Amino acid sequence: MNMFQFAFMQNALFVSICISVLCPCIGIFLVLRRYSMIGDTLSHASLAGVTLGLLSGQSPLLGAFIFTAISGALIEWLRSYFKKFTDLILSIVLALSVGTAITIISSGKLNANADSFMFGSILTVSHSDMILVLILSLLSVLTLILLYNQLLYIAYDEEAARVAGVRVRLINYIFSILVAAAISVSIRVVGVLVLSSMIALPVATALQLGKGFRPTLLFSILFSFIDIMLGLVLSYYLNVAPGGFSALVSVAVLLLVIAGKRLGMALRSRRSAAA
Amino acid sequence: MSENARPAKVEINQLYFSYTGTQPYVLQDINLLIEPGEYISVVGDNGSGKSTLMRLLLGFLKPQKGRITVRAQRLAYVPQKNDFSNAAFPITVYEMMNAYRKLLKLKSRSCIQAALTQVGMQEQTRALMGTLSGGQHQKILIARALLGQPDLLILDEPSTGVDLDSQHEIYSFLKKLNREQGLTLISVEHNLDAALANSTQIYHISAGQGHLCSPDQYAAELLHRQRSLS
Repeated sequence: MNMFQFAFMQNALFVSICISVLCPCIGIFLVLRRYSMIGDTLSHASLAGVTLGLLSGQSPLLGAFIFTAISGALIEWLRSYFKKFTDLILSIVLALSVGTAITIISSGKLNANADSFMFGSILTVSHSDMILVLILSLLSVLTLILLYNQLLYIAYDEEAARVAGVRVRLINYIFSILVAAAISVSIRVVGVLVLSSMIALPVATALQLGKGFRPTLLFSILFSFIDIMLGLVLSYYLNVAPGGFSALVSVAVLLLVIAGKRLGMALRSRRSAAA
Repeated sequence: MSENARPAKVEINQLYFSYTGTQPYVLQDINLLIEPGEYISVVGDNGSGKSTLMRLLLGFLKPQKGRITVRAQRLAYVPQKNDFSNAAFPITVYEMMNAYRKLLKLKSRSCIQAALTQVGMQEQTRALMGTLSGGQHQKILIARALLGQPDLLILDEPSTGVDLDSQHEIYSFLKKLNREQGLTLISVEHNLDAALANSTQIYHISAGQGHLCSPDQYAAELLHRQRSLS
């Protein structure tokens, strides 16, 4: 029996494709700016948004998007305040967001279960979720295309970007919104707890290939697609949460690529020694 | 420098700056006039405030008191090679130059090859930035700064992390840009030999205060200081 004949699997497939494009596109800039932990912090912040959305009877994904975008902007604002202790900023935002989520969940006032957002679930992707995911994905990809060179230069050489007239602060705030969008798109299927791995690991794998920026971005998308699709399909047959399994697949793919790279290097050095 | 452009000029009046916003000032009562076509080397001991002055000129910092006027159609900047902890960044020379060209809104791609040819790096377009030597890296950064024909070039210790042969090539090229094309140059220098050999003026900063002198005057000051120390 083909698993994609079920409507819930079709919905999950659609969202997974969006995740596999959006997460590495955002992730490459986070990883290269050494901001991977911001992805982790914001994915935890999204849980507070989910609980606030559920509490107010609104879309939890919209709640996640708004709260995560505010948290991202807060991180950017606090960066200028805690210049010498920037790691403190993540602790502050984590305290605020996880504190909010735990308080709301433990109050017993939620009429829905927030657990599926922690671990990810393919059964819970609704039609309205898909519309929101589609809108956020399209807007994000369009913004990324428009700001590609600015984001690339802020990541590579922020001072040169400033001298060239790039409004670094403004772009950083817009980027915070893009990170929030990627997290909101992914949260249903992947879940809060392993979401940061979907942002960072395909990029880490692509970086092993030692290519230029554009090929690294394209390989990140390819690896992300492999990780998420394998995770989705295998988790269906194993009856486990797709997010956790996708994370495991992404680690396995990274290890395979590292092993392949090492093997290639060893073969090359043996050949050159023989010659 | 573009043919129709008015030459760049920099004016600093009674400038005071501190990182805390209060006294003691890192820079105090700085007055400096840089005429078009000058090659000024800013020298001084570590912590004297020369890099702070450069960051003020670039607009990265704001002075507490005083005024900086930079009259340039296009200001370009060459950072210190050692400031790049980004050796693992996956970017080729061409990608780096092309993205910058787009930031500067330059339409023609031919300016990339022209700038790389000027510094003798036209064969390196496909190389990853992280695989270049110190000298090659610095030449590429100078080529990037030349995109869009700047009339004011600010450099932060251009010889740091660069081998002697490349240092010689870089300073010869900078001197040529200044003398033949009239490009105004401000270089924060720790390399006093290069400063004395290439600059038209030297701005020496000590304990937050600066004074402008000719390379000959500065050489005499250095000699006097050495004698008094010995």
